[in-house]
Amino acid sequence: MGIHIVKRDACPLWKKALFYLAAVAAALVVCGILLLAMGVNPLTYYSRMFTMGMVGNKIAYKTFENYLNVFVPLALTSVALSLAFKMRFWNIGGEGQFIVGAIAASTVALKLKPPIVVALNNSEFSFSVSFGPILSELITLVLMCLAAMLAAGLYGALVAALKVKFGTNETLLTLMLNYVALYTLTFLGDKKADWNFFLQEESARPVFQSFSDTAAFPRIMLGKFGLNICVILTLIIGVLVFVYLRYTKRGYEINVVGDSAGTAHYAGMKVNRIVLRTVFLSACLIGLAAAFKMGTTGVLSTTITGDVGWTGIIVAWLAQLNTAAIFVVSALISMLHYGSVQANTMFSNVDSSFANMLQGVILFLVLTADFFIRFRIVRTKKGGNQ
Amino acid sequence: MELNKLDVISTFIYNIVLYNIPLLYGTVGEIVVEKSGSLNLGVEGIMAVGAIFGYVIGCYTNSLLVGILTAFAMGALMGLLFAALTVSLQANQNITGLTLTTFGLGVYFFVGNAIKSVGWPTMSNYSNIKNGFADLHIPLLSDIPIIGKGLFSHNILVYLGIAIAVCMWCYLKHTTPGLRLRAVGENPGSADSVGINIKRYKYLHIMLGCGIMGIGGYYMGLNMSGSFNSACWINGYGWIAVALVIFANWSPALAILGTFVFGFFNTLRVSGSSLAIAFPEALGWLAKVPTQLYQALPFIITALVLFFSSISKRKNSGLPAALGLNYFREER
Amino acid sequence: MPEQYAIEMRGITKTFGSVVANNNINLNLRQGEILALLGENGSGKTTLMNMLSGIYAPDAGEILINGQPVSITSPEDSKKLGIGMVHQHFKLVDVFSAADNIWMGREKSGFALRGNRFAEIEDMAHKFGFDLDPRKKVCNMAVSEKQTLEIIKVLYYGAKIIILDEPTAVLTVQEIEKLFAVLRRMKEEGHSIIIITHKLNEVMEISDRVAILRKGEYITTVNTAETNEQALTDWMVGRKIDLNIDRPVVETTRPLLEIRDLTIKNDEGAVAIDKVSFYIRGGEILGVAGIAGCGQKELCEAIAGLRPIQSGLMIHKGDNIVGLPPKAILEKGISMSFIPEDRLGMGLAPSLSITDNMILKNYASTPGPFVDRKSGREDAQRVIDELEVVTPSTETPVRRLSGGNVQKVLLGREIKAGPNVIVTAYPVRGLDINSSYAIYDILNQQKKSGVGILFVGEDLDVMLALCDKIMVLCHGRVMGVVHAHKTSKEELGLMMTGALDLTGKYEDKPAGIARDTNITEEHLNSTHEEGSN
Repeated sequence: MGIHIVKRDACPLWKKALFYLAAVAAALVVCGILLLAMGVNPLTYYSRMFTMGMVGNKIAYKTFENYLNVFVPLALTSVALSLAFKMRFWNIGGEGQFIVGAIAASTVALKLKPPIVVALNNSEFSFSVSFGPILSELITLVLMCLAAMLAAGLYGALVAALKVKFGTNETLLTLMLNYVALYTLTFLGDKKADWNFFLQEESARPVFQSFSDTAAFPRIMLGKFGLNICVILTLIIGVLVFVYLRYTKRGYEINVVGDSAGTAHYAGMKVNRIVLRTVFLSACLIGLAAAFKMGTTGVLSTTITGDVGWTGIIVAWLAQLNTAAIFVVSALISMLHYGSVQANTMFSNVDSSFANMLQGVILFLVLTADFFIRFRIVRTKKGGNQ
Repeated sequence: MELNKLDVISTFIYNIVLYNIPLLYGTVGEIVVEKSGSLNLGVEGIMAVGAIFGYVIGCYTNSLLVGILTAFAMGALMGLLFAALTVSLQANQNITGLTLTTFGLGVYFFVGNAIKSVGWPTMSNYSNIKNGFADLHIPLLSDIPIIGKGLFSHNILVYLGIAIAVCMWCYLKHTTPGLRLRAVGENPGSADSVGINIKRYKYLHIMLGCGIMGIGGYYMGLNMSGSFNSACWINGYGWIAVALVIFANWSPALAILGTFVFGFFNTLRVSGSSLAIAFPEALGWLAKVPTQLYQALPFIITALVLFFSSISKRKNSGLPAALGLNYFREER
Repeated sequence: MPEQYAIEMRGITKTFGSVVANNNINLNLRQGEILALLGENGSGKTTLMNMLSGIYAPDAGEILINGQPVSITSPEDSKKLGIGMVHQHFKLVDVFSAADNIWMGREKSGFALRGNRFAEIEDMAHKFGFDLDPRKKVCNMAVSEKQTLEIIKVLYYGAKIIILDEPTAVLTVQEIEKLFAVLRRMKEEGHSIIIITHKLNEVMEISDRVAILRKGEYITTVNTAETNEQALTDWMVGRKIDLNIDRPVVETTRPLLEIRDLTIKNDEGAVAIDKVSFYIRGGEILGVAGIAGCGQKELCEAIAGLRPIQSGLMIHKGDNIVGLPPKAILEKGISMSFIPEDRLGMGLAPSLSITDNMILKNYASTPGPFVDRKSGREDAQRVIDELEVVTPSTETPVRRLSGGNVQKVLLGREIKAGPNVIVTAYPVRGLDINSSYAIYDILNQQKKSGVGILFVGEDLDVMLALCDKIMVLCHGRVMGVVHAHKTSKEELGLMMTGALDLTGKYEDKPAGIARDTNITEEHLNSTHEEGSN
């Protein structure tokens, strides 16, 4: 008796880190017990999962390339979502914004004609100017990115506008818009028609049209390993967002609005405009993630998002909306997901959905750890009748 | 010929009911949860967990009742997890709910594949399940032409779902615990001050609601004849349920109506073409409507409902005022 | 054999973070008496009562009911022990009917919700002498109706010990009489009652004994019959101490900020400031005295442009600032630092560092896209050094600082911006003596440099020593503006409680209107036009 919960004033960083590490470790143990029950040695399984089967693998570079392709959209989406979350704007519409961005990027990739050739022909003199593949590739990719960002950004900003104007619940509205976008995409993937340039013309069945090579992001070859330029761009954007939030006036405004909208108002900030602008930016970056994905896979699909809109929310939260931490956490979560697929080849009875479970358990335990960071349990001194 | 046309209509109505009552389970469950002030976005995952355990254990015991009870219990267990995290540990409800979906789908596939590797129980081999899930014809009512077969000749889970919805409607509106539950969701500070045990109310109703969702999941599994493949049985119905709660304005009675509206579009997607063939003049255009429009309609309608209710700021909205907010008594 | 009390609280201590709300408090409630709990704002009355009603759990101490030690860990426990509390901020469900608000907490109310509950509750209300429409929804009720409902609710639950937190603040005179009649009848029936109120005449009228708290400490309990309003005021505000605060004489300028016939509503829609007129000159400190919730907060917010006004003029150096956005008002050099009761609600972003809070108002003034934290950090360091802020570094989140240090940061930032009018509310609340003096010095320096200061304060001794003039508010109305060196604490105390009204003292010179006013006919006409619309 006589126990009650009070808010903690502060928790030292080392203690926080310790709590979180303990939570992750406990999650691994809990799921390890499950593995043990299935007759699988958890240590072997985990080592296979976290190395993603690269040890002793001749095409390990290929595995790592694929891993990075999983990592890039997740990291970028999580960073984007963290911008909105910092203002306590519950954008759970990452999926929808990603899809809208992907459709926009595909439109550019499929509609933009191959190299622009200007040719002058007459009898005596023949001259032709060709914008080489390099330039047209660059233009295509830049346009893809811009189109995706604009489309996704507007899709997100629409909700923000309704939220600031009418107080519409953004959690539920972004959720609904996810499905509107998803079914639009499946419609495009299903409907054979003259206007539907998303599908292959030659195929009788509806199949998404692949992009030409000009719409693929270049790779920097390091030996056999090809480093997709998107990885570098994502890291750069990560740094930019970090700088934006940490050092710019606009980032500062986001922090103030998220911390105390009343104070922001008092300091003369235009809170509504800040919310609108930030949500637009957040959705833009999700669109960019979609463009990166499109420029890597080269073809649309109804599962193009790879659930990054959902997983990104969890990543952003696990990382406590800290930009640097988001990269670390999304690297780990990507490892979990991609690694479990790899591990499945060795342990056929452990389904790759193990990653989802593990991810869930990790988050549940991190949320538990969070409680002990935010609150303290105290005993009432000299009180009560037992 | 005429008879055939009537048959098409009758089958259409039948299908609306058969394939969409799981939606009612999910919706009513979520209404109960939300009325306690908790926004649970884990419906999809909870239904999946209820489904897989309900189905497997139901088959192993060859008992539909055990299946239903297991599905309920597993759903309630997921609810317990949600309640422990959000009510006791003050975790963010959106995050917890979304994680519950990821986790639940993980469990669904993990358990399903594990069972599959040792031999999947096929529904037709379990006579009690198969027969228990067969249609029950309500005497007299099922003989009414056209709608008789469509509405009064269904499996037991359809009747159970309607019964639960009606019971929950009565419970919320006409009982004292229901009144207290609404108070908790509206203003936990008030409820607390008159001595209502907030934690107990939240825990119990989150678990009850999630249990109901679990049964809905089990139903979906049975509807698919328990064939386990790469697509989850729930197939997004959990999310439609979240939408339907808003459409139904947090009333289980309106949820029944909403289920029919949403179910109507769902069924048009599947059987719209048969209507088009049966009535080429009147409904021929149905064949041209893309199926995805039907799939998206529930979400579009709900988005519009959200939008219009926010601009009208109507006072009779069933939205619990404290939805999504955790209650901490010593907050200053 | 010791007397058996209805309630005995022994050594109760309650802290919120670093704030001590109640320190080692002892309080006794006799069987069948009405005890008035008296104290200024922030003296810990409501916190103490919330520990009886189960909202808060004490950090230390014990509670005895009828001589039995009890543990109250929830409102449920409290209700079972026969304690009922009418909170100042109503604990009602807006969308429920009156009857349902009561019914939801009824024990053994049965499973089914029957229609006859309306009649039952209406009868019950009549029995206690109240009129109640049981089907009326709370959101459609007037404030006084809600209050009545709360009282009926507690009575209905059969509480033997009833706590009322400022119940009369929202009632009319007739309703107060009715309420007191009910309280007396309940007392005769054996109920024990605690009533929190600021109005001394009510204390004298209704209570048997008075318990006094000051700044979280228990002062004393006296029999009402053996005391008087003067003595109570002394206990409440403390004995006069010689504070030795400087009051430099500065040549004052023409009015910097003039307020004329200002009317403002509070969040609940009731009138918070009622036709208030006053002015501030450069080089003077105008104190605002008044019991908590007399409209100080609303007044400050209105001047800063954060709260719309109903009518009236606010003229700054001859320009009307009514309707200007907060930013424009800031740019005119009017700074507001308001320490709300939760300390961090307005003016500071609690999770951000001291540096980041330093630049809150001027971050946009530097060129380029980046925030200039370097100068912010220098400012932060200067404030830390000059005001002796105790903090690990300039990068510590404000949330982690103790209350006094938070206030120093807030005031330090306001002064740094070089304003010409400073509106400051409770700037020394929770500060120790030395830091309080540091704050007074800062304010005096500002005054010397020609700044006009509106000082909303609590401690009358401080106000008497520091301010040049003091305006006293009582329930949103000005009771008079007095010269600090010509008045006394007693006079101020009487004005605060509404017992003394000096507004009509000098007929030739209306209170709060400067002789050399900047307000022109044009300004006045503009309000008339608005008024007629």
